[in-house]
Amino acid sequence: MELHEWALVIFTTVMQMAVGAFVLVGGIHLFAARRYTVETADKLSDRALIAIGPVVVLALLATFFHLGNPLNAPRAISNFGASWLSREIVLALVFTIGGAVFAFMQWRKIATPVVRNTIALVVAAVGLVLVYGMAAVYLIPIVPAWNTIVTPISFYITTFLLGALAIGAAYVVAYWRMRGNEKAEKETQFEIVAVTLRWIALLSIALLGLQFVLLPVYLASLTANTSPAAAESVRILFDQNGVLFVLRLLFIFLGAGVFSVFVYRTAATSGATIRILGSLVLGAFALVFVAEVIGRYLFYVSMVRVGI
Amino acid sequence: MATLGFYFNSNRCTGCKACQVACKDKWDLKPGVTWRRVVEYSGGNWVANTDGTYTQNVFAYYVSVACNHCENPLCLQVCPANAITKRDDGIVVINQDLCIGCRYCEWNCPYGAPQFDEEQGVMTKCNMCYDAVDAGESPSCVAACPQRALYFGDLDELRAEHGDLAGVAPLPEPDITQPALVITPHRNSAPVGSNAGMLANPEEI
Repeated sequence: MELHEWALVIFTTVMQMAVGAFVLVGGIHLFAARRYTVETADKLSDRALIAIGPVVVLALLATFFHLGNPLNAPRAISNFGASWLSREIVLALVFTIGGAVFAFMQWRKIATPVVRNTIALVVAAVGLVLVYGMAAVYLIPIVPAWNTIVTPISFYITTFLLGALAIGAAYVVAYWRMRGNEKAEKETQFEIVAVTLRWIALLSIALLGLQFVLLPVYLASLTANTSPAAAESVRILFDQNGVLFVLRLLFIFLGAGVFSVFVYRTAATSGATIRILGSLVLGAFALVFVAEVIGRYLFYVSMVRVGI
Repeated sequence: MATLGFYFNSNRCTGCKACQVACKDKWDLKPGVTWRRVVEYSGGNWVANTDGTYTQNVFAYYVSVACNHCENPLCLQVCPANAITKRDDGIVVINQDLCIGCRYCEWNCPYGAPQFDEEQGVMTKCNMCYDAVDAGESPSCVAACPQRALYFGDLDELRAEHGDLAGVAPLPEPDITQPALVITPHRNSAPVGSNAGMLANPEEI
């Protein structure tokens, strides 16, 4: 695979992670604000939110490496009316700019929480449509390995799985870096982290289950497809990249399964320390991130067109 | 205005690739870029007869393919930069000044027509030698064919004269893009979607 395709692996994986993180951080924030105070809820979510920014910018920059003629890049939105590729780019830009505006307002506490929450809700909705738009780009009728409902579903799995674990990791890091707080405040924040991590662990395990149901269904339908293009895709996935295929399954099982179970159980115990909990979450995130990058790499290399 | 299309007679083609070379020469195409390609499709096996003897049914034929200037050009529809247009005479052209080099048209074409020029970073494609066509002459591939296997002209007339077959193996289902292409199949030709043979020269396509 060439450099320009690696750019797509980075862009799609990281952008989906950012959308998932943005949506989930909003949900966690609303939950925490209701249970404690808005100020308490802001402490961790603001830091996690700001971490998403550079990641999105990195993802957008990666796309330039995909273009043969980057000077013409602004033209990429010209065909919004018919091309999902144009729509994807417009949605990505709206999500990025909207997210940046919201993050800035949230950081400086501009406008009321209601106004800010409304903006966040709109940005989150754009992000979720963006994930569909990203998938629609690959619903190409002449590529049997891509033209299936599995493509959008697996993009959404990446969104929420990677987004959830990224947020978990960000909360832990944000908690670590919190300084000079009084003991009671720290205890409240730890409680938020622990409850959040429990939910993240549950979500990861559920999405892992969905992934393991989806995969055999996908492979069965691809194998049943009679076109030589589908057969070639199967050959690429198994014969040519069998080791990566197994590694990906192993990593996602360890990260979203085994590690998440430990996160869930540890977060529920009274003697849980942030050291252990943090290491588990960061480990789960790292494993799933590697698994998703491998998975996306396999997605691109499995592309074989019908015809010549 | 009449829609233009290509006509290819597979029975006449010897696979000499004069069409391919004439195209490369005229447009000075770089290594790796081949707008017109000659596909070799072959297959066959030993078949048992009732008397216990075996005969072989090995076959091979050629299909010369370039851009088919489709009536439903997916490349044009998906191009995010609106860099691909269809002329009144049906010729589908890429405007390199507008192309961003994302290669999305390449993914969407079942004929492998749009090809990437690494040096310029933009897509290129058969343009049916519109300069020659506008001057009342033939595209260079058509002019170069020593077997007279390749023609171009008014698609309706070509269909009236030679039928409306627009695909044989290993070409894709014509329904996908409705190519402006008329084929007289080889006497041994396999239908679209057949697994009777295989592409024999993948490195040339």
